[in-house]
Amino acid sequence: MDKCTNVKTRSPNYKIGKNCTKSVGFSYFWSTKEGLRESDISGNFRRTWQDEKVKAYFELQYIMTNRKFKDAGLHPLLAYFLLTILFVGLSMYLFHKTEFAQYIYLLFALTLIAKLSETRRTEFLKICYGDIQLKQIRIVENLICSSPFMAFLLYQQLFGYVGLLLTLTSILAIVNVQTTFNFTIWTPFSRRPFEFTKGFRNTFYVFLAAYALTIIAVSVNNLNLGVFAMLLVFATTLSYYSKPENEYYVWAHDLTPKAFLFSKIKTALLYSTSIALPIAIILAVYYPQHMGMLSLFFLVGWAFLISIIVSKYSAYPDEMNITQGVFLALCIWFPPILIAVIPYLFKQSENRLSGLLK
Amino acid sequence: MIAIKNLSKNYGTNEVLKNINIEFDKGKVYGIVGGNGAGKTTLFRCIADLEEYEGEIHSNPNPVKNHLGLLLTEPFFFQKMTGKEYIQFLCNARKIKIANIDDRNIFDLPLHQYASTYSTGMKKKLALTAILLQGNPYFILDEPFNGVDIQSNIIITEIIHKLKALDKTVIISSHIFSTLSDTCDEIHLLSNGHFSKSVQKIDFHILEAEMKQMTIGNKIEKLGLV
Repeated sequence: MDKCTNVKTRSPNYKIGKNCTKSVGFSYFWSTKEGLRESDISGNFRRTWQDEKVKAYFELQYIMTNRKFKDAGLHPLLAYFLLTILFVGLSMYLFHKTEFAQYIYLLFALTLIAKLSETRRTEFLKICYGDIQLKQIRIVENLICSSPFMAFLLYQQLFGYVGLLLTLTSILAIVNVQTTFNFTIWTPFSRRPFEFTKGFRNTFYVFLAAYALTIIAVSVNNLNLGVFAMLLVFATTLSYYSKPENEYYVWAHDLTPKAFLFSKIKTALLYSTSIALPIAIILAVYYPQHMGMLSLFFLVGWAFLISIIVSKYSAYPDEMNITQGVFLALCIWFPPILIAVIPYLFKQSENRLSGLLK
Repeated sequence: MIAIKNLSKNYGTNEVLKNINIEFDKGKVYGIVGGNGAGKTTLFRCIADLEEYEGEIHSNPNPVKNHLGLLLTEPFFFQKMTGKEYIQFLCNARKIKIANIDDRNIFDLPLHQYASTYSTGMKKKLALTAILLQGNPYFILDEPFNGVDIQSNIIITEIIHKLKALDKTVIISSHIFSTLSDTCDEIHLLSNGHFSKSVQKIDFHILEAEMKQMTIGNKIEKLGLV
């Protein structure tokens, strides 16, 4: 009796499968004792087993997430704490800086959630879990991912946007987003392919949004929004250098480590400038009195781009870890530190690359 | 020429390569054979300077890695990078300027599609095209015939003949003996981390017979097929 009670209480650790293998016996027991039909019991058993599968999926996701934090040299609890602080800090900054924060916020949330709706990923989950469990999983994970955004929108008392986000989140749970199209997205960076070619194809819509924000900034006379758009371009290009590439793509270069780093920096500065410059020019034309401040932000964008490149290769072939994270956090807190951090990380990068480049 | 002296490689306590000594001359094609785990790929990675090792590897010009076309068993391709961009990237990496990549596309690959969407054989052909356009004097081709259609196999065989005629040094590994006997001047049998046998072209048939005997033995009889 106890064994079958496990079924009803949905106990963890897969006890159902182990304890209730004699399904005929326990079905009979339940149908007489509780007044249920046998089919109800088998359905109950199946539902419980499927619930356990879904639960196991989320447990696995949790373990994998924690593993990533550990690989980066952070205790998971500390990582969750830091991420919460970072999220709240950036959210407050965004809502403080622009009146369009809620739109940008929704865009960020939906971009994040859309990545979970990728076709191949959905197909894999469908094979593993079937249609019903797939929808359960998709709805739950979409809600988990959007919950921080919803919580902050609630805090801002933007109830309409919470409802909108909730609706869009639910819709995204049942549609697949085709992220691998049959057509090739054009890029202006094919002459020096790699980071900017694939990065541009992944994030071109962010640049379109940045250009749109610049036009809005000028039309509503909000320089801060314009500066935000310019920094958004640099922040996006920074993300192109966040992951270490396959060693073959470094090894293939007939360059010394120093020349390789200079080449990477040169390409990054040239291409990021070509995207950010139109924004800077528009802002400079409309706000000539703030030319100095705009130039400073542009230089800061460059400096962070250089710092992320040397940070990446100072840990190569590993992913950036807590050391690089601390340096970058310090630089965000007090950008003049970049003057010291960049040469230090450059030297470290040269050492790390010396095994692959001669 | 690539000269390898006393090359050894360990992974922890596992000694993968044991005191390898060999020279690879200009204008010759070398085949490296051996079972799975014999150390072929590790040897190639050492020559390419992708691994740290004990011993010496010399070449002219030096270092060999900057003049080497390395075809990996499973070439890696990034998402959202087209075939043409992959070739452009590898040519840029060696400071080679190619006027029109499309004209050099002898395998008729869809160069404007993302390389990550290619089939296994197409990926291999793309990787091979890229290293050929780099104009290297040395080539290491790890399983160049694997997964490639029969027409392309014929083309690859002819390419290897052409490289030999151009005085290049080519080192190939393959699990298909006939592809090696068609292309190589020498075949070296790598076994338990060292070269247990080296055979010139004239004796390839003897090596093949020996390998067959060694590999098959009486295993088929054990099946008791009737």
